Amino acid sequence: MNVSPVLFNSDSPLSVHFMRSCKLVFSIGILTCLLGIALGDDNAVPAAVFVRGLNLNGPSIEIDGHVWQGSDSTGFQCNGKAFENTNVVLKPKTDAQREKMIRSSRWSSAVDVELTHLEPGNYRVFLYVWEDNASETFQILVNDQVVIDRFSSGTAGQWKRLGPWNAIATDGEIKISAKGGAANLSGIELWNAVGVIPDPFQVEFNRTPTDEQIAFFEAKIRPVLIEHCYECHSIAASDLGGGLLLDSHRGIVKGGDTSPSVVPRDAESSLIMTAVKYSKADLQMPPSGKLADHVIQDIKSWIEMGAPDPRIEDTVATMKAKKTIDWDKARDFWSLRPLVSPAVPEVNDSGWAMTNIDRFILAGMKQKSLEPSTDASREVWIRRATYDLTGLPPTPADIDAFVDDRDASAYAKVVDRLLASQEYGERWGRHWLDVVRYSDTAGDNSDFPIPQMIKYRDWVIDAVRDDMPYDQFVREQLAGDLLPSKSVEGAHRQLIATGYVAGARRFGSRVSDYPTHLTIEDTLDNVGRAFLATTINCARCHDHKFDPVATEDYYALYGIFNSTRYPWPGIELEQKQRDLVPLVSTSVAVQVNELRANEQKTLDAEVKELEKKKKELNQETKDEDKKSLDELIKKAREKAEDFARQPLPFEQAYAIVDAKTIANSPIHIKGDPNKLGEVAPRHFLTVLGGQTVSVTDATSGRLQLADWITDRNNPLTARVMVNRIWLHHFGRGIVPTPNDFGRQGKSPSHPELLDWLAFRFMESGWSTKAMHREIMLSRVYRTISIQSSIARETDPTNTCLSSFPRLRLDAESIRDTLLTLGGSLDPKRGEAHPFPPQSKWKFTQHNPFKAVYETNHRSVYLMTQRIQRHPFLAIFDGADPAASTPMRTVSTTPLQALYFLNDPFVHKQAAGFAERVICHSENRDERLQFAYRLALGRFPTSSELESSTRLLDSIGTALAGASPNAKEVESQAWQSLLRSLFRLNEFVYLD
Amino acid sequence: MDRRRVIQSLVGGSILMPGLLAQLLADDAGNKGASDDPLAPKPPHFPAKAKRVIFIFSNGGVSHMDTFDHKPELFQADGKKKGVGGGLSNQERVLLKPLWEFKPGGTCGTLVSDLFPHLRTCMDDICLIKSMKSDDNEHYQATLAIHTGSFFFSRPSIGSWISYGLGTVNNNLPSFVVLAKELPYAGTQVYANDFLPAYHQGVRVVPGVEPIPNLDRRTSRQDIQQLELEFAASFNQRHLADRSGEQELAARIRTFETAFKMQSEAKEVFDFSRESQDTLDLYGLKPGEASGFGWKCLVARRLAERGVRFIELIDGSSSNNWDQHGNMAEHADHAKVIDQPIAGLLKDLKQRGMLDDTLVVWTTEFGRTPGVDGDKGRGHHSACFSSWLAGAGVKPGVSYGATDEIGATVAENKVHVHDFHATILHLLGMDHTKLTYRHGGRDYRLTDVHGNVVKDILV
Repeated sequence: MNVSPVLFNSDSPLSVHFMRSCKLVFSIGILTCLLGIALGDDNAVPAAVFVRGLNLNGPSIEIDGHVWQGSDSTGFQCNGKAFENTNVVLKPKTDAQREKMIRSSRWSSAVDVELTHLEPGNYRVFLYVWEDNASETFQILVNDQVVIDRFSSGTAGQWKRLGPWNAIATDGEIKISAKGGAANLSGIELWNAVGVIPDPFQVEFNRTPTDEQIAFFEAKIRPVLIEHCYECHSIAASDLGGGLLLDSHRGIVKGGDTSPSVVPRDAESSLIMTAVKYSKADLQMPPSGKLADHVIQDIKSWIEMGAPDPRIEDTVATMKAKKTIDWDKARDFWSLRPLVSPAVPEVNDSGWAMTNIDRFILAGMKQKSLEPSTDASREVWIRRATYDLTGLPPTPADIDAFVDDRDASAYAKVVDRLLASQEYGERWGRHWLDVVRYSDTAGDNSDFPIPQMIKYRDWVIDAVRDDMPYDQFVREQLAGDLLPSKSVEGAHRQLIATGYVAGARRFGSRVSDYPTHLTIEDTLDNVGRAFLATTINCARCHDHKFDPVATEDYYALYGIFNSTRYPWPGIELEQKQRDLVPLVSTSVAVQVNELRANEQKTLDAEVKELEKKKKELNQETKDEDKKSLDELIKKAREKAEDFARQPLPFEQAYAIVDAKTIANSPIHIKGDPNKLGEVAPRHFLTVLGGQTVSVTDATSGRLQLADWITDRNNPLTARVMVNRIWLHHFGRGIVPTPNDFGRQGKSPSHPELLDWLAFRFMESGWSTKAMHREIMLSRVYRTISIQSSIARETDPTNTCLSSFPRLRLDAESIRDTLLTLGGSLDPKRGEAHPFPPQSKWKFTQHNPFKAVYETNHRSVYLMTQRIQRHPFLAIFDGADPAASTPMRTVSTTPLQALYFLNDPFVHKQAAGFAERVICHSENRDERLQFAYRLALGRFPTSSELESSTRLLDSIGTALAGASPNAKEVESQAWQSLLRSLFRLNEFVYLD
Repeated sequence: MDRRRVIQSLVGGSILMPGLLAQLLADDAGNKGASDDPLAPKPPHFPAKAKRVIFIFSNGGVSHMDTFDHKPELFQADGKKKGVGGGLSNQERVLLKPLWEFKPGGTCGTLVSDLFPHLRTCMDDICLIKSMKSDDNEHYQATLAIHTGSFFFSRPSIGSWISYGLGTVNNNLPSFVVLAKELPYAGTQVYANDFLPAYHQGVRVVPGVEPIPNLDRRTSRQDIQQLELEFAASFNQRHLADRSGEQELAARIRTFETAFKMQSEAKEVFDFSRESQDTLDLYGLKPGEASGFGWKCLVARRLAERGVRFIELIDGSSSNNWDQHGNMAEHADHAKVIDQPIAGLLKDLKQRGMLDDTLVVWTTEFGRTPGVDGDKGRGHHSACFSSWLAGAGVKPGVSYGATDEIGATVAENKVHVHDFHATILHLLGMDHTKLTYRHGGRDYRLTDVHGNVVKDILV
């Protein structure tokens, strides 16, 4: 069977994508089903199976050749009120049976239809709704998942058949609901999950026009279209408006992105008429001004004739052909080319190169006729390495041990010792938290706190400390809830890992039009950047302008996360947390919930009882009795309310699970969630293989996504991660734009080295620590940080790495070092943030959550908010808690200098440091040596000893007159000196 | 010593007026080539009249029909006729009569309500826009948008964009200063640099003892601090000598010199002792008063004189502001706070000739509904509102745009928030489509992919 030509000619813009993906995974049968369109005479296409039709208010009836059940059916329950209106003219017109079904409906502002007695499994649901008078706006849900957020019912008489939506019948039930405005639900149609559903509304265009009709078109219609429409709606348009082509018959039949433009013989229902009549504020065409009334009348007449049209050339196909991404060409971009293990270059060196990394780097230098710098001293190297791996300074004992270690493996021993430390996990965990825009609050208008978020933070720190293989690290974060686990603890840890997805940003204040699509955009943006260095979210409104990501790709991934249940952190109008995942067994959770529900019932009943008593009061009741009753009611209400807001008595993870409804998402036209286009089946980025979620799979597809991302054949994942590792060692990635490996990013300075590292990374079992050893034991990591004058000339940005690039300490390292030197660092893991208790949460956009919590723990444990920057982190270029930070910017501002001059924290740590230094020894030189070694990692030179002594003396003299207390003067003088050390360039820069 | 240093040193001895200094330094900058200073003045895309901006933001949603947008039809409200109303402009409610009479101001005769008697006398200098439009009826989203052009996602603030585009002429003060006792909706995001380098973040000034964090010398005596700094400076110089040509290291040494000077110079900004009684009266300030909106307005003028590029004044906070859902009469309390100080600022700038090259902007995040909300209040209404511009490059004494007869929608010459931003950038000599920053694979703009300059209001 050869279906390719059929596919090629099909109407669906998805066909190109499927043609390719079918080669990869699919059998043709499933493929054609997925397309959801009739493929002409090809009888290989299985038809969908009609399962049930339901006339919600009325008798059993036959529609489209299927027998529908009536409202007397026992297969459903519905709480809406029965309603019928036989007067309004339906728009569009339809057959008599269907009309009967539509006109009689069930309505309410919160109507639920529960279909029962279904075989468990997957189904597709259609819903008929209609409007009898003024437009209403409501939300439509299937199994409690929003499928249409703000549906407008239209003007009187309008009806729609909405869907299909995928739905799972768990326990043999499917629930369809509408809430918000008053919704009229007329009927429900249920189909099986696969196969092509015939379109009952195949509208008939006039394909055999008479000569008069052609003449009418040529005289009255074509000139109008050319003059007023072609500029934006023809093949020649530079920016096609709304995807609508009006320069061919096929274009008119296909219609625009939202819906068909012409309903033949039904001008009322034709979008073109709405537009030219200027009756809707947001759809007025042509934009330059309304057409003359007689012209509008002509268009109406033409539609009533069945839109006869002699323009048979197919501009739709031409347009599609023009717009299609050339995937093969796209895959020929450097970052998307397959990973091929590169040969290590042979370099003619005099023994400088110690590792293969050195050979790659040296080869690059040779090309520019550069020579590597000399080795740095051991003191410099160990300070560099210790800050690099732990974010803290080396202790004098560490330095001595290393400097005196003549063993050939001295360097390796230091690296291993540092890699084994908890501090390593904290430092490198923080790098990952930067990438995933970690925050302890949700980012909605009130910035609700998330007390459970720290579990994810700690998971990251532990996973990094334990060198969890990177592929597993990715899988657990994206789909830990779907992975098998050997132990309960392990399962809980995997759940906590999905805090990565759960932590996506929240928006807004209201529940009614909650912008879920923005949270999913934030998720996709981060998934794209963090794992693939691809700006997926650029394709939300249109195909990516630079990179091979189609809008269809975006919604293919959107469907995966829209089939995922995110936890609810609380927002202004619904302040209680919900949908977190219990870290206890299901049976315990169920039991506890039952107990709580009973307790709540009792408390609520007490309130009711008292309220009833109040009603029974009569005029003779004394005022004081009334008062005391009021008081009792108030107290009881508070108690009930307080109980309702109490957090659950067991641990919960701010984590995700699959949603009740698993469904593919329709494309949001131009990113507008209210304008839905064709459904995009869930699949991976086309350019990376386009693997699809099987239609028989009942999960969201997150686990598959994680597998596709960590597939060894994925050209991006390993490249992206080794580049991140390299970046933090050298302050700059081999690819300088670590979150963007696309055309807008920069290309690698050492492409072969990048690929070689990526290979080593995968060979080592995705071990990050193996990469650290690989890099840190190289010669290039050992060079001094002073560029030769020749190198400054020929390679001013030091891209060739002929010397080590000097690095500045980041915000956390600065603060942690100050705490360490001041003797106040608490090295233990930070505890839970002291948020106000959940029962008291009343945050609004007027009084958002806002706090800065002081702590002596390491800075990775500082509470950070999405909306309010932490004051210290804001001054020193801390990570952005609202968007992925691939690398810290390094700014140098007077506000930073003011911080070092005057901030109480700096003064406090200097005081603590002074106390330590004074206690260390009675001897001044020894004290100075101690201070220099702790702060700068080296002994002071003799001239430094001299100038330091001078400073101590000058300040001592200056203060002696002011204070009689010699000890106090001594302490003040030392504090002055140590504050001065804190301000040195040498203190904040790593050679 | 180069010319720039000479000029700056003259100021230390009060030989030059601060305004003159700014001009001299700006001229100086024009002649300079590329600089390693990220805040060095940059030439605009095209010559412009406005050199700096004073941006006044009234938080909470100021009712247009009660202040600047006279709607006779509303005064006829009979308690029966309905229009858009309710908390979020999503209901049909009876129309609510404005509480304040409108009277013409200046020779141009622009109508202003009795809420702003002082500002009314300034209408000959003001270009009123009555056809502003935003897209969201929530405070937070609309506040974020009027500051960043983005309704949901955090983006750089307009002040940060302008600092990035033009740099600043006074190295001893930040380029972007925000005078805010408390935070508005959306918190620190309204003045955040976001992905722009941190040099461009708004520095928040809080009226009180230490208006800028860490501005107060913490060491007991100045000579001690000087000794510390001299020690560090010589140490740093030696460190630099071994690493010559390292611009970053040199730049960091300079920041300590600047910070040292800021301790006195920035404090001087907040010292009104040399201001005349007449000036203080203009702002409605009592001697020694160091808070309130009058204080903010006078500090704004003093910052403008010293060459600060973008000065924002925040009126109200997220919890106490113009958001009168229940009782419109409370608008009077909020108007009283800002009316005289803003009028004073405009008059003071004018008499000093500074209105010629300073752009003053007043805006809110959205307007209020013509229909009632609560008892006697109005709801949020982003479909239309009023803002105004005054000073450099703007047509004085005119009104632009109009709303329908009840103030429910824009009837002509719509000015969307993006258009408003595009116009402000244009007045500063910048093309809003060319002021871009590459971040995460995309060239971002203040105006996203929108915005049209409102040419009709330009001189």
